[in-house]
Amino acid sequence: MAKIEVVNVTKRFGKFTALKNINLEIKDNEFFVLFGPAGAGKTTLLNNVAGIQIPEEGLIRFNGEIMNRIDPAHRNVAMVFENYALYPNLTVYENIASPLRSPLYKKDNATINREVHRVAELLRIDHLLERLPSQISNGQKQRVAIGRALVRDPNVFLMDEPLAHLDAKLRHYMRSELKEMQSSFNTTCIYVTHDFLEAVSLGDRIAIINEGSIIQVGTREEVYYTPCNEFVAALVGEPEINLVDGRLFVDNGKYYVETLEKGYLLPLPESSGIVRKLVDSEVTEYHIGFRPNNIKYTFEKKDGLIRGTVYGFESIGNKAVLIAKVGEKYIRMIAPNDLKVKLDQAVYVELPIHKAIFFDAQTTNFIGTSDEAAIYRLVQEQLSKGVQ
Amino acid sequence: MKRKRIVSNAVKNGLLALYALFALFPLFWMVLISFKSDAQMFNTTFIFNPTLENYDAVLLRTDYFKYFIDSIIVSVIAVLISVLAGVPAAYALARYDFKKKENLAFTILSFRFAPEILVVLPLFMIYQKIGLYDTYFGLIWVYQLITMPLLIWVIRGYFEDISVEIEHAAQVDGYSWWQVFLKRLLPLIKPGLVSASLLAFIFAWNNFTFPLMLSGTYVETITVASLKYIASDTVHYGQMAVAATVSALPAVIFALLIQKHLVRGLSFGAVKG
Repeated sequence: MAKIEVVNVTKRFGKFTALKNINLEIKDNEFFVLFGPAGAGKTTLLNNVAGIQIPEEGLIRFNGEIMNRIDPAHRNVAMVFENYALYPNLTVYENIASPLRSPLYKKDNATINREVHRVAELLRIDHLLERLPSQISNGQKQRVAIGRALVRDPNVFLMDEPLAHLDAKLRHYMRSELKEMQSSFNTTCIYVTHDFLEAVSLGDRIAIINEGSIIQVGTREEVYYTPCNEFVAALVGEPEINLVDGRLFVDNGKYYVETLEKGYLLPLPESSGIVRKLVDSEVTEYHIGFRPNNIKYTFEKKDGLIRGTVYGFESIGNKAVLIAKVGEKYIRMIAPNDLKVKLDQAVYVELPIHKAIFFDAQTTNFIGTSDEAAIYRLVQEQLSKGVQ
Repeated sequence: MKRKRIVSNAVKNGLLALYALFALFPLFWMVLISFKSDAQMFNTTFIFNPTLENYDAVLLRTDYFKYFIDSIIVSVIAVLISVLAGVPAAYALARYDFKKKENLAFTILSFRFAPEILVVLPLFMIYQKIGLYDTYFGLIWVYQLITMPLLIWVIRGYFEDISVEIEHAAQVDGYSWWQVFLKRLLPLIKPGLVSASLLAFIFAWNNFTFPLMLSGTYVETITVASLKYIASDTVHYGQMAVAATVSALPAVIFALLIQKHLVRGLSFGAVKG
């Protein structure tokens, strides 16, 4: 139970800078997700919090106390390693009991026995306690590794892609299990993942990290509806957001964006305030993001819709992704699984301009969104936080 | 089909028996000789009057046990020092990145390349000058050339096989670095440590060149002492056989004790999964 602060942390490996001036404040009892592509520096940041690595610059603070000179053993952190890091010569029971037998966190045998059985039952591995790590499956190993962390009462749980090596079904099961445990954790947790679903389903707040820098920190709604740049927009959401070029177009005092084809104008919704944001930004060339699940389509010709051809259709489980080729652009959208389409068939696409996210075409930074409902929700959220 | 399998099994076992005979016959012959008197040495093969005369002559009427103990002292302490210095060295070579690491590792291995006879003469001169000649310490020191590279290379492979996260996990669990090493790493390298130590011990025990040139009166190992049974007038084959038989015993006993570690221990570290 601790507040974790990361202040101006820079970590170098030789000439390579793995973390560049990272600043984070993780609240007490918060489930904080570090989310980013492979090689972004997520694990390095976790190792620096654990004390396995020491930053060249900056401070790590637990409850305001500087931790830089404290070794991992004395920081009282529990860590789940991506490759499990179980002790191959010890049984599952002894693996889980290991922290409770260490000189620093020593407990008597009765307590150890009770605690080990408690977490083993929680993780449903109580029938495996006498086995060696080589005699259990990867998913079970993963749960033993989590158990070794849960058996303790640490300042912070550090979890490094704890579900990455599981098969899809088990991952789904473990995700809901973790989420359930999160409520009973009652402690701070830093969770590293490169899986979007894990990030949004588990995290109270999500930090998006890339190439050693924090790109954005926010709740799942914030990073989904108001991503700070195109990188975040593309990372958050599955299938990936559609980004199309657009230009501001003024006619008779009405504001439009021209996109996809010359002369194809979408009227900007007046009420959402997006018009003012676009005008104020003094940028006229945009990349406009449309989430695939918001895009509508039809196979009959209709005014105001733009014509494309079906380029691809692939099932992703209970739904499918329909890819339409409009001009030179490929537009992804969600379609029902049983949709009957032929390749190169004509399709008419309706871009939801009232749910669009606008980025500066030059800098790729966020300008604004036309999604009123989302903004309203975010404001409500901010207000309720302010009240707390 | 069944008959075919029986035949193939019989052939296999027959060949194995043949090989066992081939491999063990010299040893058997040596043991046989050790029970023959000098008079029957050359005119009997399997049928003779067995006698313990040779054993009596070698074990009770010479300093054989002194040589035996000398060999034990030199070999065991040489291996112990190699373990104490070699395990940390292997750990460093496996875990830390430093300049010229591979060159250093190769240099250590290269000590085993040169024939001992090549270096023993200069060593002889040096040892005489600095007073190491004919001392336990002198032999133990020079034996490091034999035992240390073997240990370092086998143990290094073991350390490399242990993922570094296991050490991190143990640290996070609340163990200090030394406790991590003793409680978490040592059990994992134990098979390699045991088998490499045994092999190092056998190599040290069997060494002939170094004790021949660098010791002789105060310290004398069993390999060199066995030569004493070649007198100027006659060669006491029976007594030599006794000396050789008894000197082979420690290695055989150790090997039997740790048999289960042996093959797996030596190959496990080297072959990476």
